[in-house]
Order: sequence, then C-alpha cells, then structure tokens
Amino acid sequence: MFLTRSEYDRGVNTFSPEGRLFQVEYAIEAIKLGSTAIGICTSEGVVLAVEKRITSPLMEPTTIEKIVEVDKHIGCAVSGLMADSRTMIDRARIECQNHWFVYNENISVESCAQGVSNLAIQFGDSDDDGAAMSRPFGVAILFAGIDEKGPQLYHMDPSGNFVQFDAKAIGSGSEGAQQSLQEVYHRSMTLEEATTSALTILKQVMEEKLNASNVEVMTMTPKDLFHMFTKEQVEEALKKIDMPSEVQHPALSQIGERKKTENVK
Amino acid sequence: MSLLERPYYPDYSSAPIQHQFSPYADNGGSVVAIAGDDFVVIAADTRLSTGFSIYTREQKKLFPLSDGTILGCAGCWCDTLTLTRILKSRMQMYQHEHNKTMSTTACAQMLSTLLYYKRFFPYYISNVLVGFDTEGKGCVFSYDPIGHCEKTKYKAGGSAGALLQPLLDNQIAHTNLDKVPKEPLTVEKALALLKDVFISAAERDIYTGDNVLINIVTKDGIKEEHFDLRKD
Amino acid sequence: MSILAYNGGAMVAMKGDQCVAIAADRRFGVQAQTISTNFEKIFNMGPHLYCGLPGLATDTQTVMEKLKFRKNLYELKENRMMSPKVFASMLSNMLYEKRFGPFFVEPVVAGLMPKTYEPYICNMDLIGCINAPDDFVVGGTASAQLYGMCEALWQPNLGPDDLFETASQALINAFDRDAISGWGATVYIIEKDKITVRNLKTRMD
Repeated sequence: MFLTRSEYDRGVNTFSPEGRLFQVEYAIEAIKLGSTAIGICTSEGVVLAVEKRITSPLMEPTTIEKIVEVDKHIGCAVSGLMADSRTMIDRARIECQNHWFVYNENISVESCAQGVSNLAIQFGDSDDDGAAMSRPFGVAILFAGIDEKGPQLYHMDPSGNFVQFDAKAIGSGSEGAQQSLQEVYHRSMTLEEATTSALTILKQVMEEKLNASNVEVMTMTPKDLFHMFTKEQVEEALKKIDMPSEVQHPALSQIGERKKTENVK
Repeated sequence: MSLLERPYYPDYSSAPIQHQFSPYADNGGSVVAIAGDDFVVIAADTRLSTGFSIYTREQKKLFPLSDGTILGCAGCWCDTLTLTRILKSRMQMYQHEHNKTMSTTACAQMLSTLLYYKRFFPYYISNVLVGFDTEGKGCVFSYDPIGHCEKTKYKAGGSAGALLQPLLDNQIAHTNLDKVPKEPLTVEKALALLKDVFISAAERDIYTGDNVLINIVTKDGIKEEHFDLRKD
Repeated sequence: MSILAYNGGAMVAMKGDQCVAIAADRRFGVQAQTISTNFEKIFNMGPHLYCGLPGLATDTQTVMEKLKFRKNLYELKENRMMSPKVFASMLSNMLYEKRFGPFFVEPVVAGLMPKTYEPYICNMDLIGCINAPDDFVVGGTASAQLYGMCEALWQPNLGPDDLFETASQALINAFDRDAISGWGATVYIIEKDKITVRNLKTRMD
C-alpha cells in the first residue's frame, strides 16, 4: 500500500487510478496505533474491555475515558484519535436522545451506528450543511447495546462502514486479539466467560502488564444495561485470569475448535 | 338621541369595509375511539361541512398509518390532509431507517412532536390515535392542536366531543354508578355504544351526521363497518 | 369569556310520565375560583312550578325577585295560581323588555299544568325566546355535555324514580366534564301530590 503512494494520497475527494481513497485507508491505519479494545457479544449481554495507556506515572488514569455511556442501553469503546472520538460520541448521544424525544422509545443499536456513520462519511467537500471536514475521523468504535433484538455488538471504522460482530477487537493489538477471539468465541458463552476471555486476550496483546488501573471494563445486560466496572470489580475479574486457563476457561485452550468464523483483513 | 344608541346596519353603512383572511376553516366532524384489552375501535362520521353548508356526505376521516395504528382527524380539513401526508411519509422513512414498522406508542410520540413543532401556527385538528401499547393492550391517544398527548381507554373528539365524552365516562368508566359491572368490555358492547353515541351526536350537532365509518382493530387486522346517521 | 360563563352552572329539566324533573348543580364561583357549594339556582314559584336561572349569579337573584314580584301581583289580581305556561310567557316578556341590555340568565321552567297535571318544561335564551320541547331542556355552561347525556339517556314515559335517576345521571356526568359547574347537585321531582327534593353528593373537584 505504501509503495503505491502517489499524488493521489492528498485529497480526500480524489480516487487513485486503482480506485482507492488513500486518506481513508491511512485513517484506518491510524487506528492500528490506538489502544486495544475488545468487545464480545453473548446471549446474556455484551462486554467491552479496553486498555488504557499510562504513558507517565504522573498521569491520572481515571481521566482516560475509552468506554463511554451513549444512552442507558448503548455503550461505546473507542480506539484511535481520542479528540475525534468525542465528536462522534457526541453525535451518537444526540441520535439516541433525538430518537427518544421523537418516538419515546430506545433507539436500536444499528440505527445509532447508522447515525454516527452519517457523520463519519462527511469528510468530503463542503456542502449546504456547512464547511468541509479536512480529513476522515481517525477513530474506530465498538457499539455495545441492548435493543429489541437483544444484545448487539457493532464495529465501525473511519470510512463510516459498520458491521455487526459476535466478537471484535480494534486498536494496536487487534490482529492478534481477533485471532484469539475466533478461537475462544462460541455461541453459548456466558457473560462472565466472555469478560474473562476479553481480559485474558487483552493481557496477551498488551505491552504493559495488565492491572486494575490500566484497563476499563463495561458490561451491557438486559437487566442492568450500561454498567462500568468499579476498580474492585476489575480486580475481581483480573483474579480469574490468573488461574490456569484449562480450569477457568477450557475454550481458551481448545484452539482450532472454531464455532464462528469472522473474516477480518 | 345620541349617535351611539342608533342600531347599526352594516348594509347601509358608508364606512369602509375591512376584509380579513383567516388561515383556518372549521370543517366539523366527530371521532370516537374505544379500547378494550384485545381490541380497539375507532369511528368517525363522514360529513364534511363549513358553516351551514355541506361539502360532502362521504368523507373518510380515518387514516390507517400501519397494520395496527389508525388516526382519526376532525377539524380543519386542509390541515388534516397535510398532517396525514407528513405522517405517512414519516412512517415510511422510519421503516427504511430502522427496518421495522413504527409502533403505536412511537407514532403517538412522533405525532405529539410534529404538532408541537407548529406551536405558533398549529394544525387545527382534533387527533385521536388508536392501536396497541407495548403490553399489547388496546389503547387510545388523544391530542390537542399543539401536541398535548394523553393515553386513555376511550375518547370522543371533534365537534361533538363535548357532548359525547361524559356519556363515555358514564358508560365505559361507569362514573357515578353504584353498581359497577365487573365484566370487561367486549367488541360487541363497544360497537353498540359507538352507534348510540353517534346517533345522539347527530341529533344535536349539525357538523356530525350522514354516515359513520368504523374501524375495528384486532390482532387479526383492521375490519371496516358502516352505519347510517340522519342526513339533515 | 362570555359573561354567561362568569359564575358557571349546569341545569336540566325533563318530562316524565305525569311528572317532571328539574336539576341543577350547587356551585357558585367567580371564573375558576369556587366561592360556595350551596348556591341554589332553582326556585319554587308555585305548588307545581319551579324555575331555574343559570347564568350570571347576580342576575339569577335579581330575576328571581322580579319574577316573584310579578307572579304575586298576578295571583292577587287574578285570584288564581299561575300556570307554568303563563309563568314562562311572563318571564319571556320580562326578559324581552331588556332586549338591548339583557339579564344574563338562560331560564329553565318546569312544572305541572293546573287541573290536568300535564308536565310542562321549557327553556329560553337570555332575551326570552321560548323553546318547549317534548323531552328535555338544558342550560348553563355544561349545556353541550348535557345535550349529549340527555339525548342518550332520556326515554319517553319515565316514572318518577326512573326520571330521578335519568336526570341525576345526565346532570352529574355532564358537569363532571365541565370545570366551572358541579360541587353537589339538587334534583326536584314534581308529581301531582308530591314534590321530592334530593341533594346529591358528587365529586368536589
């Protein structure tokens, strides 16, 4: 990809002769510099786990917010340019509230993602709606939510493309994590299993040592909806992954027994 | 005799005549809706009139918005035409955007916001929306012209609304009765009552008459019925 | 707002089989504020004659006094009772005298004709136009509601007990849907040899 770089990688409005939009592709690359986030969707609910990069001991870890509540029934994990993500999360929240205001019902997770996608693809020229964005958003988002179809997990990339997943990893460790997810995931997974798996995989792909202050965990269940783990709950969850993997989650050792195959680039 | 005490005859006045445009018309009409546990009926007369003249004796005032949601409109007919077209397109847009049919409760809230968005130049319509709520029970939503929305079990709206509402209170909610029948409302009872109240309305309200169109909504769909009213 | 709706009030009269009913609410208010709940709007004008005067409360009382005055004078001069029909005509004339500065009342008259004991009811507008139908008459701020109720509940040849129930139900359910009438009701059932007065308990809001 970088070898074919040419004049065509400047403007976001110009296709290369091969039919590519380089700026969008670069934006997708930018995600791979971001911190790893993992989402797993089970029949009991969805779990999101994200690493927080503590770059300095003087940093206050709690101010890094990578999992956010969008509505009571939708939560998002983001990876990439955090500043860009604020704009997108803002739009997601507006979509949710507007839907509630007009229809007095919870928006579906898909429609919420669609709303954010509509924002994400506005990186072209300026139009009647206002000035142009200079570039695509450098953010990938995992939408975890509960709607009338049950627990749902969606992934969206900087092009605005969004797809539903059973399990998905984004960020720097996403390639390895996605491979592990494919091996671990099965349809009858419990939420607790999923939480442990997510943290185990996160631990494998993280450069730093996993501890209660450099990870954020959120569960989305039909009963409690958006629930962010407290530090104590994270510690509790981390204890389980320190046990031998055969005992706690046999699925992790059953490599090759894939129930579900998601083809990811 | 002073000038002020003389009677005023407009035809013989030499004062300049002032003309005024009114953006609204009152085209009359009555809507009555009654909900039971597993059904809901809505009915509207078919007379469209203005002042002392009748435009038509066969105007349908019920608008099915989906398989289980019906809107009844009475008041300014031109506003009704516009509002129902907007609603129809919004129903379609919702279907496309969210891949599902809009529920009655969602439709009820949307109608409320649509009306409120014209808070200072309202649609001059008495709206009554019927369908099934989130628990699957029959329900009625009634509105004022600027979007106040109330969920009830029965409602009389339009030109004979004031005449009929206390009657429904008495016959459905059994207000001011000592011995209250406990058996739940049936479709047959609701239909009989509906016919009675429209006959009463047609006696005293000149804007209600000619014919009544009834829509009976159950889980199986919508059924239509008619019956005649006095035509004078 | 119309001055007729300044104090509020609801009234109905109905014909039955050899009996008539006249009923009214008991509220006296000033626009939305309720002042008292024992205000009588129906007045006895003879052994089988009652007159209700819904509308502006001050005119209710003035017209009542003027009516008593004229009726007493008639009875002294003529040395006989005034029939409901004559009473209605007298009231109508009295109101029309003030054609261009009317009393703001919409009277309801109910009674039995002398000798025949035939039921008589009528109402009129504030300038005395008489309407004397075969079934029922209504007046006051809840008249639309009353028309709806009466049109559905009333039937011919009701006995005194059924007539009482019909008139009461019509009145109460009608004024429950009117913000400025209610707060109790009085019902008179006029029969040949019996007048029954009942004060009804109703919701007080």
